[in-house]
Amino acid sequence: MRLRRFAAVLTAVLALFAGGAAGLLGTCGPFTDMANDLFCPFVLEIFYLGITTGTTATTYSPGDSVSRLQMAAFLSRTVDSVLLRGSRRARLNQFWTTQAATALGVTEVGLTPQFVKSDCTDLWVSDPGLQIVARVRGSDGAVLESWTSGINPRGVLVASGRVFIAANTNPGRMYMIDPSEPVGSVTTVSTALGVFPQTLTYDGSNIWSANSGGSVSIITPGGPPPWTVTTVTAGFSQPNGTLFDGANVWVTDFGAQRLFKLDGNGAILQTVTLGSGLAWPAFDGTNIWAPGGGSVWVVRASTGAVLATLTDNGLTNVQQAAFDGRRVLVTSGSDHRLALWKAADLTAIGSLDTGAGTSPLGACSDGKDFWVALSGAGGLARF
Amino acid sequence: MRLFGFRRLAAICLAAIAAAAAGASTSLLGVCGPFTDTTNDTFCPFVLEIFTLGITTGTTPTTFSPSDNVTRLQMAAFLSRTVDRVLDRGSRRAALEMFWRIQNPVRLSTTSVGDLPRGVASDGADIWVANRDSGTVSRVRGSDGRLLDTWTGATNADQFVVAIGRVLLTGQTSPGRLYQVRAAQPAGAVSTVASNLGDDSIGIAFDGVRIWTANFSGPSVSIVTPGLVVPWTVTTVGTGFTAPTGALFDGSNVWVTDFTVGKLFKLDAAGAILQTVTVGTQPAFPVFDGGNLWVPNIGSSSVSVVRAATGVVLATLTGNGLNQPQFASFDGERVLVTSPAGDMLSLWKAADFSPIGSYATGIGNGPTAVCNDGVSFWVALSGVDALARF
Repeated sequence: MRLRRFAAVLTAVLALFAGGAAGLLGTCGPFTDMANDLFCPFVLEIFYLGITTGTTATTYSPGDSVSRLQMAAFLSRTVDSVLLRGSRRARLNQFWTTQAATALGVTEVGLTPQFVKSDCTDLWVSDPGLQIVARVRGSDGAVLESWTSGINPRGVLVASGRVFIAANTNPGRMYMIDPSEPVGSVTTVSTALGVFPQTLTYDGSNIWSANSGGSVSIITPGGPPPWTVTTVTAGFSQPNGTLFDGANVWVTDFGAQRLFKLDGNGAILQTVTLGSGLAWPAFDGTNIWAPGGGSVWVVRASTGAVLATLTDNGLTNVQQAAFDGRRVLVTSGSDHRLALWKAADLTAIGSLDTGAGTSPLGACSDGKDFWVALSGAGGLARF
Repeated sequence: MRLFGFRRLAAICLAAIAAAAAGASTSLLGVCGPFTDTTNDTFCPFVLEIFTLGITTGTTPTTFSPSDNVTRLQMAAFLSRTVDRVLDRGSRRAALEMFWRIQNPVRLSTTSVGDLPRGVASDGADIWVANRDSGTVSRVRGSDGRLLDTWTGATNADQFVVAIGRVLLTGQTSPGRLYQVRAAQPAGAVSTVASNLGDDSIGIAFDGVRIWTANFSGPSVSIVTPGLVVPWTVTTVGTGFTAPTGALFDGSNVWVTDFTVGKLFKLDAAGAILQTVTVGTQPAFPVFDGGNLWVPNIGSSSVSVVRAATGVVLATLTGNGLNQPQFASFDGERVLVTSPAGDMLSLWKAADFSPIGSYATGIGNGPTAVCNDGVSFWVALSGVDALARF
């Protein structure tokens, strides 16, 4: 408390000198209408953090009531400030956003890398071109291992200390890697998934695959393979992406142009009509970001309400969304672009051209950087 | 500001508030998002942000009532939701798309360690496990669960603190010991930096300068000052203690649980008791969540939540799978408590003490010590000599 009071006085003194001869010495920071009492440190904190600027440069109006509009500003700035300061990037003093393709850190990985996931230290990349799953060290981008997969490795899931890979086959397959074991071949844990699995998610008990052949498979991890699989087809046309929001599994259906909320048995609980080209969504803790065609739909998970349709980023072929705690990144293959939004208020931050022919596809965050599979360039880019 | 392409408000079609029913929608075009009574001016983005985040739902689906004052009750709701949203989004699990909780013990990913694991701690990358019966320390890589190293010579290894770039752990011996592992060195024998602690050292904490141990049979608290040479200087205080068990530092003071008398003691810098808090029967190894202490009570199968600033018992939690709970850990949002007697893990939301659920680890697994590395909880399964990721 003493330190804070000292800081209050020091701030006022500094304001006096920085402002020139006309400076006014406040009683609580710059504010002349605030007592330097028990509440002063709180006022100073939100002033330093930029959450309030006062009612004027020298007044805080401590006795005034707060309108709901003013409250919205305070809370919005609070969320922004805390998320920015609390991020890993802030701790590493990395406040930049990569501005040019030449500044992307690209690791050569396979021929046609598709999807990528982080285990919080390393990245796992599926590559059907060489039929491998590559392990890339997040800190420096070095390729550590190449696991021999079966055919057509596609969506990747890291869960429960293992790496799972959907195989885009008919019938579908799922592979598994124990990353604590020496590098070798993947283990096939099931060959009985629905037709053409695309991506995987996990609900804490079962693994779910979205199968573009028209089904969703629920795989129950167990002992030695094969693992038990239940495949549900009712209501599905061409499932593509899947995610778990902490309560329910959601599936994007490319053919039906809809987002489905599922119950624990795979039955459709709720249908949200979106649009064409639905691909691979992300969840930001509150809302689902579903890319498709030239749009990104933002859907509130708790209600299924479509909050927004984001269309003005100039993209025409959006693929996968990823969330890093503050921002959502969306890849666009034929546009060879990456687009960024601020997740809290859906404002566009910008977009980056990754270069003709790079075809960015899968994306994830490791909590610090976004990582993007450049399927046309045989690379994994750090963004 | 213009950033690599554009920086402008997205074309937000916020009006399309779809009804919950399948495919149905009722479009309500507002002036600021769904709100018809809020001007699309400089304040609108702030309103939209807290609407998008679910911090406000408006006074009706189409009104925000921007000029109304905020009551203290409404303010509580807004602040509570703000805290929740920030914690949800700011966690590493959110960035890694890990929104699940393990539901079943067969899903627990385990790593075999030494005999009778009793203590665990994370250094941010690796997990350290104290194996009491084998007198070893296991180092497990957090990213993939691989056993990296095994250190020897830690007789009756018990609890950890990772501090000053080292891994420090107690030895429940008589007199008590403090061991040190230099993680950057090749695996070998631990070094003993003090062998004159009070008897049966178990709990351990670091206050930024010194290491504190709770010595069960001492009964005492030892304060160890790290030095350049071994042995390190030890001061032992016995006044007022009966059976010190767990220890933690809250940023201002060291707290110690006293198993036999069911008390929690707040200590001054010299180890004297500043404050006594009555908790449940047989308090064991507590955790601090930044505001409150969570104290598992073995004898009363409860958890006492104590405000560190005042010593007031805010709540006594029961049920939710608690069965002679011993250890607690905090991950930034949630508190996990282990009950080895019932082979259970119990999870609470730390911000409001609401139970999230309880999870059986399997008969005989005996979950004891627990820590968090910022992504996962790690639990010592003393019954099967393993470390599990939760």
